[in-house]
Amino acid sequence: MSQQFPYTYYSCSCVDTPTSLLPLSRKSVEARSSSDEEETTFDPRSSRANFSLYPLEHLLYCTECHQMRCSRCTTEEVLCWYCPSCLFEVPSSTVRSEGNRCTRSCYNCPICTSFLTVNLLDAPTEAQRDAEQPPGPFILSCSYCNWTSLDIGIKFDKANNITGQLQRVRNGGIIVPTPKERENQAERLLRKQPNHEEEEEVKSPLEETPAAQAPPDADDFFSNLNSFYKSQLADTETSAGPAEFNVHSPSSIQRLLNLYSTGKKTKRGKPKPMRESLTTAEGLQEYSSSSEEELIHRLATSGWEATTSPSQRSFQERHPPRFTSDLRPTATLLRTKRSKRCKTCRTLLSRPEPKVNTTRYKIKVLALNNIPKVSIRSLNTTPQSLLTDLVTISSSMQQKEYTTLHPLMPYQFLLTLTNPLFDPIKVTLATPTTTPGRVQTRVTILCPQFDVGANTDVWDDALNSTSSQNNPKRKSAAPGLSVASPPDNSDGKQAEAGKIWDKGRNWTSVIVEVVPGVLPGTPAFVGEGGEVREDEGVVECPVFVKVEYESEGLGAGETPERVRMVGEGKEKREVAFWCVLGVGKIVG
Amino acid sequence: MATRPTATRKTAKGEYIETDSGNKVSRKANISGTPNITLGGKTVIMADVHLRGDLTRPKAATPDPKGAKQSSTSISIGRCTVVSTGTVIRPPGRMSRGVYTYYPMKIGDNVFVGPNCVIQAASISSHVHISENCVLQPLCVIKENVKILPHTVVPANMVVPPNSVVGGRPGRIVGEVGEGYGVSVGAVAGGSGEGWVEGGDLRELVRIIK
Repeated sequence: MSQQFPYTYYSCSCVDTPTSLLPLSRKSVEARSSSDEEETTFDPRSSRANFSLYPLEHLLYCTECHQMRCSRCTTEEVLCWYCPSCLFEVPSSTVRSEGNRCTRSCYNCPICTSFLTVNLLDAPTEAQRDAEQPPGPFILSCSYCNWTSLDIGIKFDKANNITGQLQRVRNGGIIVPTPKERENQAERLLRKQPNHEEEEEVKSPLEETPAAQAPPDADDFFSNLNSFYKSQLADTETSAGPAEFNVHSPSSIQRLLNLYSTGKKTKRGKPKPMRESLTTAEGLQEYSSSSEEELIHRLATSGWEATTSPSQRSFQERHPPRFTSDLRPTATLLRTKRSKRCKTCRTLLSRPEPKVNTTRYKIKVLALNNIPKVSIRSLNTTPQSLLTDLVTISSSMQQKEYTTLHPLMPYQFLLTLTNPLFDPIKVTLATPTTTPGRVQTRVTILCPQFDVGANTDVWDDALNSTSSQNNPKRKSAAPGLSVASPPDNSDGKQAEAGKIWDKGRNWTSVIVEVVPGVLPGTPAFVGEGGEVREDEGVVECPVFVKVEYESEGLGAGETPERVRMVGEGKEKREVAFWCVLGVGKIVG
Repeated sequence: MATRPTATRKTAKGEYIETDSGNKVSRKANISGTPNITLGGKTVIMADVHLRGDLTRPKAATPDPKGAKQSSTSISIGRCTVVSTGTVIRPPGRMSRGVYTYYPMKIGDNVFVGPNCVIQAASISSHVHISENCVLQPLCVIKENVKILPHTVVPANMVVPPNSVVGGRPGRIVGEVGEGYGVSVGAVAGGSGEGWVEGGDLRELVRIIK
């Protein structure tokens, strides 16, 4: 997705503090960040910057640390698991035993990942139409790419419990035992043959099932090997021996098996070495050149169309297949609802209600409500034109204002700071004169120091302004949108250095002048030539925002450096952060 | 006679017809089956929008024994919802018991539908933002606080869970919206220069559409 201009990203303070789980002494963090603030400017092009830049609505705010918190400096706790398709909550015990996929009938198309529906294979007859339960057979079908489970030769007898039915059928409609049955069967086989003389007898029960005709697949190998190792461990459990640390040693195999099983942890002993699997029934996978040749033949005859793409392969639950005919529908991955805590002080920052269908939050401390919002837009766009662009013309037209910046031409942008706090704030802006990187764009903030009013009640302001109704400065609502100020106020007004552009109840706008730099590869470019690298034409201005305000009440755990008592129960606070303004794109 | 021309000019002036409950319907909108459409109030239907209210569930062959009148609402749209230009809203349909049947569509409050979309969803919950040129295939369900990126095709029957971002063709859940989705700074006055935010209260946006 291409980025929509203009945008503002906030740099979370965790970028220059190590994000370890160990609590750091606050002094060292403080010392580090203060030295960084003085010496370095934020470079939005550095490869680390990507990991700390967030849109404001994704940021939380820790009221204890008085800092914004991004997804890197919060810890998450899963509140509940649910299937995004059927919206049923899945208990965490089920997730632990069955895995993180829906066990109902929610399946995704293996070709295009969209949701599959259970459909009747044949159109019902007149008599069947009114029946409560239409008779089968049923198929899974994708309405997006028209894939059906018939493509892999699978039909269902019932419309429900697709997962159970899918487990006992292999591609091509071959009925196979479920993993549990398979395990039992393999165990039975092993118990039957204490030594290998009875190999002939061993083979016979397998042949009874139709699955035996088909070559064993990876699931067979796994269950066979699994039960073989289990039996071996059972044999060796009684006799203790010296511990060994190679791959085939019983202890390491036991550890491995514990990874695949969900049972209780068994006591760790020191079992003696044991033998490896020797037959197919024991899970030995034999190499045969004929199968390789068959594979090559299949590739040659069926061609590119029949092979799977890397994304399709990785989308499979397990055993990435080579051919589309070996693909299986994948059960829908579960999703979670999570609460977030500050990594430094463990304060809860957001906690949604654990029910799947509610979108309410019990706790939600947003950066939006604690940090001034910085927004930028072109001075030429009026709110009315913004609106018509939004609802009528396609995005390419809408973006024209921002995507066709010419080098060395001055452009004026309107930078607006909105104050969400209930105290008036004093803002100081700073920006490097030229943006970092090879394309040096000159950025000038015409008025870097100004005040923004408090976020008082809207009605307070409205009541105050009624007394002076003929006052043309009645702009309490959104910047530029107010009824009183005409949208074409730009032609009568000149941008002046040191003066704010406009002001409202809790917002102030200033002018930013941007002179885009010269792209490499053009004649005017000074410096090392060469190709324009990816996204080099995008103008991103780093801006340092310092906010000072006086606030009532003393919160617990304040840092004395940041908060100074001012008197009358008020305290002085300071918030500072870097943000990046994406103004547009330079054309060559 | 001099008053009449001015009167006609006055009615022709505004692009929108405003109803008592504050709905704004463009004169250039194309609406079929008007009795089957309900608008919740303060809802905007823009020019070149096509509402297919005529596609209703077929009347039952045997009348209801209780004598209750079958409701035939095919499109119901909530409050403060904006449907942008060029969008087609048609109730979803599918084969059911051998007959092609249309199902009623429900759109919640504060939903923004971008320009040039085709909407055939079974239901769209509140605070959903649908960007431009999207296709919502029949019977998909969009839950609360969802953002659909531009040029997305949401496949038929897909359920989009709450708080997710959908994009791509076919549409997949590509992420989650931030906790601050739809929250504007201050009660009414947003500082974004627009007075409203995606997924938030669209009353301000509805107000400035004239």
